[in-house]
Amino acid sequence: MHNEHIDKHFNDRNVTEMSSDYYLVGIEDYPSDNWGRFKRILKRSFRGELFVGLWVVLREMIRFDIHTVRYPEEKMPIGPRYRAIHQMKRLWESDTERCIGCGLCEKICISNCIRIDTKLDENSRKEVSEYSINLGRCIFCGYCAEVCPELAITHGGEYENASDQREHFTMYQDMLTPLDKMRAGTQVEFEGFGSITPHEDERVKKTPLAY
Amino acid sequence: MNKLTNFKINGISVTAQKGETILTVARKNGIYIPTMCYISKTSPCASCRMCVVEASGMDGFILSCNTPPVEGVEITTNTPALENERTNIMKLYDVNHPLECGVCDKSGECDLQNKTLEFNVSRQNFSARDQHRPIKHWGLVDYEPSLCIMCEKCVHVCNEVIGDDAIEVKFGGYSSTIIPKNSDTLDCTFCGECIAVCPVGALTSSGFKYRANAWELERVPATCAHCSAGCALEYETRHSAINGADEIYRVKNNFEFTSLCGAGRFGFDFDNRTSMDESSFHKAIDALKNAKAIRFSSIITNEEAHILELLKNKLGIKLFNEDARKFAEFMNSYSSVSGKLHHSGSLDAIKQSDAVIVIGSRIATDNPAVRYALTTASKHNGAKVVYAHPLEDVLVQNVVTQMMKYEVGTEEGVMALLAHTILSQADLSENERAFFDELDLGYLCAETNIGEEEFDFMMKSFSRAKKRVLIIGNDLIAHERSGNIAKLAALIEKYSDFSLVVVPREVNTLGVSLINTLDKDEDIIDVVGYNAKGNFVISSLEFANLPVASFNEQEGTVVNIDNRVLPTNVALSFEGYTLNDIAAAFGIDKENTVDYTRELTKKAGFKGINFDDLENFLSPLGEDNRGYILDEVTCSADGELEELDDMPEFNGTIIYNSDPVLQFNSYTAKAAQLPKDNFLRGSAQFGVAARISDGDIVDVSFKDKKIRREFKLDSELKGTIALNPTFDIGVDGSRYRFEKSKIERVVNE
Repeated sequence: MHNEHIDKHFNDRNVTEMSSDYYLVGIEDYPSDNWGRFKRILKRSFRGELFVGLWVVLREMIRFDIHTVRYPEEKMPIGPRYRAIHQMKRLWESDTERCIGCGLCEKICISNCIRIDTKLDENSRKEVSEYSINLGRCIFCGYCAEVCPELAITHGGEYENASDQREHFTMYQDMLTPLDKMRAGTQVEFEGFGSITPHEDERVKKTPLAY
Repeated sequence: MNKLTNFKINGISVTAQKGETILTVARKNGIYIPTMCYISKTSPCASCRMCVVEASGMDGFILSCNTPPVEGVEITTNTPALENERTNIMKLYDVNHPLECGVCDKSGECDLQNKTLEFNVSRQNFSARDQHRPIKHWGLVDYEPSLCIMCEKCVHVCNEVIGDDAIEVKFGGYSSTIIPKNSDTLDCTFCGECIAVCPVGALTSSGFKYRANAWELERVPATCAHCSAGCALEYETRHSAINGADEIYRVKNNFEFTSLCGAGRFGFDFDNRTSMDESSFHKAIDALKNAKAIRFSSIITNEEAHILELLKNKLGIKLFNEDARKFAEFMNSYSSVSGKLHHSGSLDAIKQSDAVIVIGSRIATDNPAVRYALTTASKHNGAKVVYAHPLEDVLVQNVVTQMMKYEVGTEEGVMALLAHTILSQADLSENERAFFDELDLGYLCAETNIGEEEFDFMMKSFSRAKKRVLIIGNDLIAHERSGNIAKLAALIEKYSDFSLVVVPREVNTLGVSLINTLDKDEDIIDVVGYNAKGNFVISSLEFANLPVASFNEQEGTVVNIDNRVLPTNVALSFEGYTLNDIAAAFGIDKENTVDYTRELTKKAGFKGINFDDLENFLSPLGEDNRGYILDEVTCSADGELEELDDMPEFNGTIIYNSDPVLQFNSYTAKAAQLPKDNFLRGSAQFGVAARISDGDIVDVSFKDKKIRREFKLDSELKGTIALNPTFDIGVDGSRYRFEKSKIERVVNE
């Protein structure tokens, strides 16, 4: 039942009737006899299309109007929702780590690349003692960022993680926002999966406990 | 006579047995009534008031948990008024409950979380000024008062099931807390049952705190390896650190119906890590080829015992296991009179009993499950408990109604007197009657130091009892005259309404005694030890020539005190060789150890069931579906009672080999969380007799052993018998546990 519904929805689209913006591309029929095939070979060989392309290159070279991004000297800006290498955020108020060690990111990770270990620290708080992500396995699906109840693990824009070995790891301290960056107030909030909406403050309800 | 009550819940006709409440009947019939404080194994706490229901002809709500139904009443469990009442209760529970679910150890398995979501409490209409409630550290247990919802489950369990009675409620309205009873800190046997029953994260295990969460742990149902109760437990495993192998993080139990002692709960890390070492393996094969005997401990599975038996037949060698041999000898003598193989009692029988005799065991530390069963019987049925032993035990003080203190070594006399008293009106055979007629009661009473009036008192206190149990401990099994003692026990079981429980020493003493034909241990060389001493040691403990899997790294079955065959599973994978690999080298070839489960001898009552077909769970109503109970096997009853021997005399400084709370054997000695106090404990009187004082280092010599211990004065002990722990030295299990000893003070140079 369900599948039938989907089939109908996706396959019976009636584009020509619905919209006049569509038009048929004039495609010649394939030659059916040997003479026709011979003519097609001649036409393709001597039409001079090669020189059209060469001319465009030459023209743009003379004009010095080049749009190519000269990676790696130049890089394109990355969208805020881009999902590249993970970051561990700190709290704005206290600069302490946001991660509470709940282990949900490890649990939800579908490629099984996150490992976390926690312990009781000397202040009787839960401390993340070890944390690693195997970037060789990570598929950057964003589930960890989405499930994180504290907006602690997020994705960042750093996508250059090519490696000469299949397994390579990033550790907690590598992902954590450095303190000097916090003091400078330049920690960037993630806007992708799991992030709070811009008008979140308005949605907070006061309860009798807010005395 | 069972009186049945017919009534209706939500229009459904139901029937209540005598003693059942509305809640238990509803649960039996699959009708849901929410509760927060109810726990099946205790009497109702009646503190949460979630279980309110309406009854026809009654104004207001009644508590279903402690109200028995009356004939024809119509109960409603789900009116809008009731829903409103319950939702308000949930809101009150949530007042000031710290929002630390993200780090709380209980998160994910928390009753408060579940019920808050169930009743859809998304906002708060009540408030209270919060108080400073600092966390309390009580050793293995941490208590966080701010998380506590005062359901009182912990108090009820501690008092009614465990018997420690170590915690109580400090009443004070909103500032009520749980406090240790008559003490600044928690002074108890640390069973951790309070942690298990706590519906929130108020009582937590300090060793587990903040190490993992419920959703990260994998549960492995298994059987506890530490004593013969074979309690059901679940090992919870997870990877250790970020690139370690799996590790057991904690142990949990089905606390609704069963209990676990501290050794089971906190002594789980006795696993043996090793890798395949081919050269040791070949050495083990060579050692076995040249061996004249295998000596093994009873902390093995039935399947391993079966493989050892096959090895014995194949290699024509002897099998030594003194603990199981003594037990088998005892049970053989028992069978020769009772005409059947297995004792009739069980832990459940003890729980339901109203009259119990415990003889020859320091039961609270020998088998905590029996102690819990005794506590349950005492608190719930008002059971009369007679405790016969040369030493008082503070741990069972509050359940014992009569202490019967006999002289060390006179167990045979005590049993004869007991049988004589209990069977005075019984329809005995001529020979048996003659045996009792010929008893020299005056001599026996004098030697055992138990007066006739004590037996009269016992019979009087038992007079109205309907379910009676006799519990036989290790002192009787290891006794020189154990054969005759067993026959007397069999007579009591046969001719009276007493059921009999014989307490085996180790987790599978009973299984081994049924499966193996054991030889008397000889002090010869060329003995291969399997988890025991030998010239070549194959063991899961330290100093093994060939390391093998320990109990939590194996699958297999054991037979517990209930004669129940219990399956246990692999909690941690084991990389090395197992006994099955060794057997394979001798042509005893099966792929897995558990392939032998169905081959266990039917002559002893084993059913030919495959390991994978064994169930291992408790039903939602608490019925035990773990494994199966051994079939009863009848045998010829041609045993005759022997005349009593002269009672031996024990004078001077006597020590009693008895482990402290939370310790049982070399495996519990390995566990990191368990305390390892190995003091020689004695009374002031003992100190005077042995001329030692508190804190002295002494050399204790008994039999051919000499060990060094620190003497500790114990104000809870009396008399001239000291307690000597054995978990760290390993004592021959067949030996009578009272030893004449020589104690010398070590003078510091």
